Amino acid sequence: MASMNEDLQQQLIQDLLVESYEGLDRFDNELLQLEKGGASAETMNQIFRIIHTIKGTSGCIGLSRIEKLAHSGENLLDELRAGDRQVHSGIVSLLLKLSDTLRSMLQHLEANGNEGDTDYSALLEQLKNPSAAEVAATAPAEPQISETSEATPDPASAAQTAETTVPDGWGLFDEDPAPAAESDIPRESATPPPPTNIAPAPAKPEPANEISSPAPEAVGNKPSIADSAIRVDVNQLDKLMNLVGELVLARNQILQFTTTSNDNALLNTAQRLNIITTELQEGVMKTRMQQIGSIWSKYPRVIRDLSHDLGKKVELVMDGQETELDRTVIESVKDPLMHILRNSVDHGLEMPEKRRAAGKPETGLLVLRAFHEGGQVNIEISDDGAGINVPRVKAKAVERGIITNDQAARMSDREAHNLIFAPGFSTAEKVTNVSGRGVGMDVVKTNIEKIGGSVDVHSEPGRSTTIKIKIPLTLAIIPALIVTSGGERFAIPQVSLVELVRLEDVQARKSIEMLYGAPVYRLRGKLLPLVYLKGVLARDAGNAGDLQAKLASKTGDVFARARDAHRAWLIKLRQFLDGKLTMSDDEAGSHQICQLGKWIYSDGLPNYGDIREVVALEKCHQQFHLLVREIVATKNADTTADCEAKLRQLDGLSNEVLDLLTRAEKRIHENQIVNIVVLQADGRQFGLVVDQINDTEEIVVKPLAKQLKSLICFAGATIMGDGCVALILDVLGLAQHSHVVSGTRDQALADERTTSGTAEDEKQALLLFDVGGDSRIAIPLSLVARLEEIESNTIENAAGQEVVQYRGQIMPLIRVGDFIGASRSGHEPNNGDGSLQVVVYSEHGRSVGLVVSHINDIVEEHIKIRRDGRGGGIAGSAVIHDRVTDLLDVPDIIRRADPDFYSAAVNA
Amino acid sequence: MRKTIMTVDDAATMRKMISFTLKGAGHDVLEAADGAEAYGVLSQRAVDLIITDVNMPNMDGIELVRRLRAHPNHQRTPILMLTTESQPEIKQQGKAAGATGWIVKPFQQEQLLAVVARVLPNSN
Repeated sequence: MASMNEDLQQQLIQDLLVESYEGLDRFDNELLQLEKGGASAETMNQIFRIIHTIKGTSGCIGLSRIEKLAHSGENLLDELRAGDRQVHSGIVSLLLKLSDTLRSMLQHLEANGNEGDTDYSALLEQLKNPSAAEVAATAPAEPQISETSEATPDPASAAQTAETTVPDGWGLFDEDPAPAAESDIPRESATPPPPTNIAPAPAKPEPANEISSPAPEAVGNKPSIADSAIRVDVNQLDKLMNLVGELVLARNQILQFTTTSNDNALLNTAQRLNIITTELQEGVMKTRMQQIGSIWSKYPRVIRDLSHDLGKKVELVMDGQETELDRTVIESVKDPLMHILRNSVDHGLEMPEKRRAAGKPETGLLVLRAFHEGGQVNIEISDDGAGINVPRVKAKAVERGIITNDQAARMSDREAHNLIFAPGFSTAEKVTNVSGRGVGMDVVKTNIEKIGGSVDVHSEPGRSTTIKIKIPLTLAIIPALIVTSGGERFAIPQVSLVELVRLEDVQARKSIEMLYGAPVYRLRGKLLPLVYLKGVLARDAGNAGDLQAKLASKTGDVFARARDAHRAWLIKLRQFLDGKLTMSDDEAGSHQICQLGKWIYSDGLPNYGDIREVVALEKCHQQFHLLVREIVATKNADTTADCEAKLRQLDGLSNEVLDLLTRAEKRIHENQIVNIVVLQADGRQFGLVVDQINDTEEIVVKPLAKQLKSLICFAGATIMGDGCVALILDVLGLAQHSHVVSGTRDQALADERTTSGTAEDEKQALLLFDVGGDSRIAIPLSLVARLEEIESNTIENAAGQEVVQYRGQIMPLIRVGDFIGASRSGHEPNNGDGSLQVVVYSEHGRSVGLVVSHINDIVEEHIKIRRDGRGGGIAGSAVIHDRVTDLLDVPDIIRRADPDFYSAAVNA
Repeated sequence: MRKTIMTVDDAATMRKMISFTLKGAGHDVLEAADGAEAYGVLSQRAVDLIITDVNMPNMDGIELVRRLRAHPNHQRTPILMLTTESQPEIKQQGKAAGATGWIVKPFQQEQLLAVVARVLPNSN
């Protein structure tokens, strides 16, 4: 159309492209339906209509080459529709080729603005003469007729009735339109059509009742014209979404104001705003929602071609096409899904003979299922193929250097299944056209995790493989947990959140342990590596580690001991006053000699000097001892002297000391609440330690500026209710940055490896302790289940053995000193009160407690063990930290203390 | 003189093009995507001309013409059918159903305007 302006031409081309792509996708699917034989006359008609429309439209825009090709297709389809020709797979393949060629021409048009000059003469020929095409189905026919074939009139136009054809391209049935209207044609046409010179072909299935039956309904329900549905530019929707995001933020800000307001009018308005915004948000979200079926529609075609190529028989069943999700999410799962499907056909399903041999139907079943669950979209791809061959997968992974032989041997089937997602993994023996090109399931996994989704695989050998994908509905507005660290707020996407753990007081200081120099927390028996957000952000550089050491200190409850030490001193003084004890003035006066004093100067002030109470404590304690000195001096000079007044004064000071200790302790505890956010990344969990857990909130995700994009710890930013910006943490990035994802597994495996703990010259983590004598003793940390402090009054006797109740079990206590013959006087000295240090050793669900005097340290060193074979509970000795240290032979000691332990443990 | 014309086609591009051409000639244009939709509108109101495609989902062009002729509003409304050269028998069916005339797809703007000018009442 020469007179058409450029803009309109462009717009029409855009419309044509969209319409035709959609049409061709539908075309492919309907064709497959047709091939299966399950197609109705209406399906046939739809197939015809699609090509017909492409032909008509492209012709009007002046795309003559597309028009010509579509025209040939239309003729063939017309023959099929009329039943003049039978549908068989040769024809279907030919028509699919037509669809492909048209698509590629449209793509050319889209990219270059013209139809291109692809030579489709061969295809044109086949379309005109499909019987020849059948023969040549495998080898494409040589173009027999060149472009001049354009001139060849097609049979249909030849058959055209001469009487109605005019060169103008239009005509009137009656030269005078007005009389036609005035005549009784209307009435006549209301009745069955009068016989005409060309009788309607009876083969043409357009029965009026079939078409008219749904029509009245459609007429009644759809009073609108074509624009009841309109096309909207996706960018427009994105813009809307962004604006709604802003509105949500503004709403949040206003809602915050209202929390401090008593103005009823404002409150009501705010509430209304709240409701409307929420509805608007949902509404706009809906406009961006797309049925997942829109990307699935291509799959039947792909699977068909693929199975033909591979010589397999596959039936693709799709369920839940109508499941809706955000278009950005849809886009990002499109390729991963395709990859998984290809993989299932290529690797999952077996060849027909093999299936038959295995007693399965020859046709493999591939099921694609989508459904909503818990605010997420689940997509499952399952095949009834051979399942994942675990030994083969393991062997391959070892060969590729992904895991070691050791790891392979130890790996569960489930873990092995997930190896298919490991980078660089592929079991394809040779690189095929289909899969096995090295970019594989790892890319699938990364892409899905990038949008906050997860992938999991289940497989039953010989039966099936199912890959489960969970993806969020949308990426624009997500629920997130808001936390505070170092005075800043951060948002953690809820999808990565597993649970929250809050440790208080004693727990906070005791249950975080250092393993290989890394802080860990035992969460229900599993080691959870910890990451300190402050440390990661370097907001508290270097401090996190120190804090750890402090928190992980195994010296027990220092303040309780300090108080007990002080009480012990009072008892000592009482004994002196009662004449049961002698004491020199100096001894009484030096506050540095008493245990509490020692503690103040060695630990208290250095560790807790920043706490007011501890500083005050030093002064108070000094005064206390000055007074004690006075009393002792007075008594030493004259035993009959009356010191009651001074003693009362002393009581006051003493109470103050105790009080200060308690208050200091309380203050420290307040600072020592540990909030652990347990997160999931890459299939592994880790704990993120933050200062404060605030709340969960719906946040609007804003991308980071490109200067900040390279920071892997952050996924984006959001604006909080008060208008402040909070960064959104990228959980996977955070884990990678802190090396807790990949490292953990190896570490866990390493732990298991050091079971005997006596291998020579190997880097080992050792727990150092003493049992009262001079010698220092070590045991491998891997044998230690826990370190406990137990009250001596909880010790009971059972069958002549010391036991305690521990976690619902009876745990025998072994006083290590008794077994290794350490030079000791009496039992392990307790810590001024009745508590004992116990190293808990567990095996097969049974535990024993090794009672020691002091736990000194945990070291990790290369040690050279000298086995002197001296026995007696000592396996050998080594130099650790410049001191000779005995290595305890734990099994030997347990055997001697409790001969039944091992057999019972095995039976347990 | 300004007329109201309805164009019925399941291809949006085709509708748009017809609509553009006719609007350029000073007419008002209504659009419908298939026969059922067109009939829904046309059973409520009158128009001066209807241009309909034949092969459409839900209700095809032939059936639309048949129904419109049975409706009191449209016994005399000119109806043009969009056909293709390859479907001569369609023209016969259209004629039998009561269509006024036909245009072969693809067509040029001038052709469309020419036939429209011919069939519109009082347009000479």
